[in-house]
Amino acid sequence: MFENLLSNPNFSTFIILFLLGLTIMVTHHNLIKKLIGMYLVQTSILFFFVTTGTKFGSTVPILLSTGGPIDPSMYANPLPHALVVTAIVVGVSTLGVSLGLAIAIFRRYNSLEEDEILKRLE
Amino acid sequence: MTGQAVCLMFLLPFSAAIAMPMLGAWRRSWCRPLALSTVSLLAVVALFASYVVVTEGPVRYAVGGWDPPVGIVLVLDGLSGLLAVVLSLVSLASLFFGGPMLLNDLGGKVVPYHALVLLLISALVGLTLAGDMFNLFVFLEVAALCTYALVGLAGGRALIAAFRYLILGTIGASFYLLGVGYFYAATGTLNMEDLFNRLPDILHSKAVHTGLIFILLGLAIKAAMVPLHGWLPDAYSHAPNAVVPLLASLITKVSLYAMIRITFWVLGAATLPHEVPILYLLGLGGAVGAVVGAFLALTQQDLRRMFAYGGISHVGLIVVGITIGNQTGFAGGAFYLINDAVMQATLFCSAGIIMHRCGTSELSQLGHLWTQMPWTSAALIVAALSMIGIPPTGGFFGKWYMVLGALEARNYVAVAAILSSTLLTLAYFVRIIERIFGEMSPGSSAVQLASEGPAEMRVSMGALAASIILLGLFSDRIVGLILRSAVPPGFG
Repeated sequence: MFENLLSNPNFSTFIILFLLGLTIMVTHHNLIKKLIGMYLVQTSILFFFVTTGTKFGSTVPILLSTGGPIDPSMYANPLPHALVVTAIVVGVSTLGVSLGLAIAIFRRYNSLEEDEILKRLE
Repeated sequence: MTGQAVCLMFLLPFSAAIAMPMLGAWRRSWCRPLALSTVSLLAVVALFASYVVVTEGPVRYAVGGWDPPVGIVLVLDGLSGLLAVVLSLVSLASLFFGGPMLLNDLGGKVVPYHALVLLLISALVGLTLAGDMFNLFVFLEVAALCTYALVGLAGGRALIAAFRYLILGTIGASFYLLGVGYFYAATGTLNMEDLFNRLPDILHSKAVHTGLIFILLGLAIKAAMVPLHGWLPDAYSHAPNAVVPLLASLITKVSLYAMIRITFWVLGAATLPHEVPILYLLGLGGAVGAVVGAFLALTQQDLRRMFAYGGISHVGLIVVGITIGNQTGFAGGAFYLINDAVMQATLFCSAGIIMHRCGTSELSQLGHLWTQMPWTSAALIVAALSMIGIPPTGGFFGKWYMVLGALEARNYVAVAAILSSTLLTLAYFVRIIERIFGEMSPGSSAVQLASEGPAEMRVSMGALAASIILLGLFSDRIVGLILRSAVPPGFG
């Protein structure tokens, strides 16, 4: 099992980043730290997507000439990259909305620590 | 022609949402008429397109002229047409309902409210039309982002609820995206029909199993299936009254629709061999949710929290219905999904009026409410009858078909779950009705002086309550329609 992980360093990096982000999100009480964990989770998934698009010995997916037969094995798969660009946009907008909420919470309760805010709510 | 109508269904609310801030800077008073007319037009287009679908079969629109599986495709078939019609009508009623409360509730944030609601509607329409796994993710996130902002719009406690919702919702979306990545790595395609053709050959693959688990887990968070429902009660009991009917009736239902779409139309669960017990496991989760949600609703002291837990229990019921594994059960579940959207909208509209007029939704304060608010109480009771499942309301027929399907499949766990959650639902609505007709609560002068809400709110709530009964009266036609054009492939 562990040989599998070592032979796929990209995949094991993804797993480590994903679990790290999830742990930070669940265990930390600071709202900004939660958001850092959230961003780590999102980034790890993007990393996983990019990994599925890699191919050794291939080049950028731009046709050099339209004449003659096209050999698909020469080119890297462009679709995961296109998906990742979209997912980055989604992630950035999520981060924007969440930071906006965090600012509004800070203005209202003067704190970003969840337990302090909950104490103030009582 | 119809293909253009499908594309128009998404573009109408989307372009109005983009135009809203500009219009708002110029003429604030025009925002509301623009929003209402856009959503009415959307309802007309949705009705027309669904009529064509029912008579002539599914319609596909290849975005940008790139044919599937290379390009992104929007698909309108029986189920998505039905959902799009319900979605547009319920959001029209909720938008109509929200108007009079904007000043009071949101401090006059008219422009952001209308822009966000329209963007949310366009994302939900997009979700029902998506024929591509990744496209579905994007619409899911657009809808979720609008929801976080709408919940937080009121400020105060709602901000905390919105933040927690955001954290959990993002975990759900990330899980879904990860699952899509696994599916893509295993099959090399993201188009749903293409996946449906390729998946049966590689069902034994661990990548498909892992991907499926992540996708269903992500959607279960979004649909608030027990035990992943933690975000819902707080978000819906603190969100502004003007937006709760829209959120409560549509967000969980559309996520459930995405789950149905992926289980039946991508995975082909209806024809799966028995070694993959996906329907059984989902049904078990739904059964637990139906009972636990209703039990939690019984323990609440606040009207809106009670309705929120009631909604969670009904999500479980719908899952039980669709996973029974025969046509009757599926049709019952799909019919119940439509009913639940209308019932939740009615319940939260009446709770919104009560909050608006009395300033509280604590159950103990609402004694003898019916003398002050006869219309609101009547609508609440109609919705309650439907939630419990008493004829001639729509809820009864949904449950009837689900129980029939379960008996046909000899699935007694499903029958027990439906019946026991019905009993618990009866119990918590008896508590509410007993309070409304009971004695005046001491020391609640606000309630004693309260009067009915503005006409606009009463009209939209009354229309929603009337449509619960209409759904019941025309249930055989609607279920027949579902059986004819919305049953997943493999149910014969």
